[in-house]
Amino acid sequence: MYTAASIAIFITMGLALIRALLGPSVYDRVLAVNMFGTKTVLLLSVVAFLYGRPDFLDLALAYALINFIGVLAVLQFFQNRQELASESSNEADSGARQEPTAPGAESAAEKSPR
Amino acid sequence: MTVLFGIFLLTLLVVVAIGIVRTGNLFTAVMLTGIFSLLMAANFFVLDAADVALTEAAVGAGISTVLLLGGLALVPGRERNRRRLHGLALGIVSLITLMVVYATFEKPRLGDPSAPVHQHVAPWYLEQTPILVGIPNVVTAVLGTFRGYDTLGEVIVVFTAGIGVLFLLGLPGAIGSRKTEEVQPGNSYLGHHLIPQIVGTLLIPFILLFALYVQFHGEYGPGGGFQAGAIFAAGMILYSLIAGEREALQVITPRVLIGLMASGALLFGGVGIVSMLLGGNFLDYNMLADNPVAGQQWGILIIELGVGITVTGVLLAVYHAFAARGR
Repeated sequence: MYTAASIAIFITMGLALIRALLGPSVYDRVLAVNMFGTKTVLLLSVVAFLYGRPDFLDLALAYALINFIGVLAVLQFFQNRQELASESSNEADSGARQEPTAPGAESAAEKSPR
Repeated sequence: MTVLFGIFLLTLLVVVAIGIVRTGNLFTAVMLTGIFSLLMAANFFVLDAADVALTEAAVGAGISTVLLLGGLALVPGRERNRRRLHGLALGIVSLITLMVVYATFEKPRLGDPSAPVHQHVAPWYLEQTPILVGIPNVVTAVLGTFRGYDTLGEVIVVFTAGIGVLFLLGLPGAIGSRKTEEVQPGNSYLGHHLIPQIVGTLLIPFILLFALYVQFHGEYGPGGGFQAGAIFAAGMILYSLIAGEREALQVITPRVLIGLMASGALLFGGVGIVSMLLGGNFLDYNMLADNPVAGQQWGILIIELGVGITVTGVLLAVYHAFAARGR
């Protein structure tokens, strides 16, 4: 049973990785990384039981607690970029990085703390 | 089963590595680096190296993405002077890869009991740890006692790296001419959004508590000073993201951070000096208590605390050096 569960998690990890590699938008990648983090938590828990070492759940716990900090930092990063871009709109260094807007960022933030 | 898991994870690892090299967008590279770190942690875990996996988890999940984004905020988002495929370089790399792959044919199989790594000092560590140190986690015993000099060296390396970053970037209120008051107050984007703020505020105490658990439970389960320091720093970084840069600098002031950086390493070295004054060798914990085993346990507890303090101080100071520069 644990083996079947871990194989299913591996497949999901592969799919999330494909989304992260293909993109195309920034949010696809952010969500893919977040998804990958969740799958890692699940994988660690399942493998801990598969190996008969449930005390190793500490690791999954560590991930579950601090995995979303990276996503929050991404949102903060985009906001800073946007402020800089609006201050000096002529100094655009890349188009793709400035398109994120607040509503989209909000929905990503709601999903992040899992 | 372990071999299949390993093969699958390592294949994904190679795919991610190629993706990182091929992308010209630095933000994409940072995101893929996050996935790389998650895969690496899963890999360590599947190979039963829980202490290493916890280190990778603590640093990769909380800290490294944040620090890379902090660095990315100071530079343009695209790689400049992107070169086309270089034939000679590709040839050399392929040749070396083939040589390394060829060399692995001589390697003993995974888990082979007659492999050199299981013949050298490892059996001695496994036999002597319950007798000499009396703690269940052999990794902590090796790290703290048998290889205590190496660990002291690692702490000094972390400390030196922190000093280097702070000299380059400065830290408002401690290094450089900027004062803490010059950092913009509040103004945190996430602070205006209810869900990150409430969830973050709820989670911070638990993250800090978990860091303390990892710190002081390292003798019994996976964990220790390095992991605990990274988790503690991640909790404070979360506070800084939610409440604002200046507010976070007022909670743990820059001068305290500098003090933490130095005092952890000093505590570690101080244990060594004390054990010398008590008549033993440098970092010989047997002298710290009447009973040698109890002395070993006290010594490990104190030096792990020193490691945790230095790692927390360095990671937080480096984070603030980046974050305060942006604003």
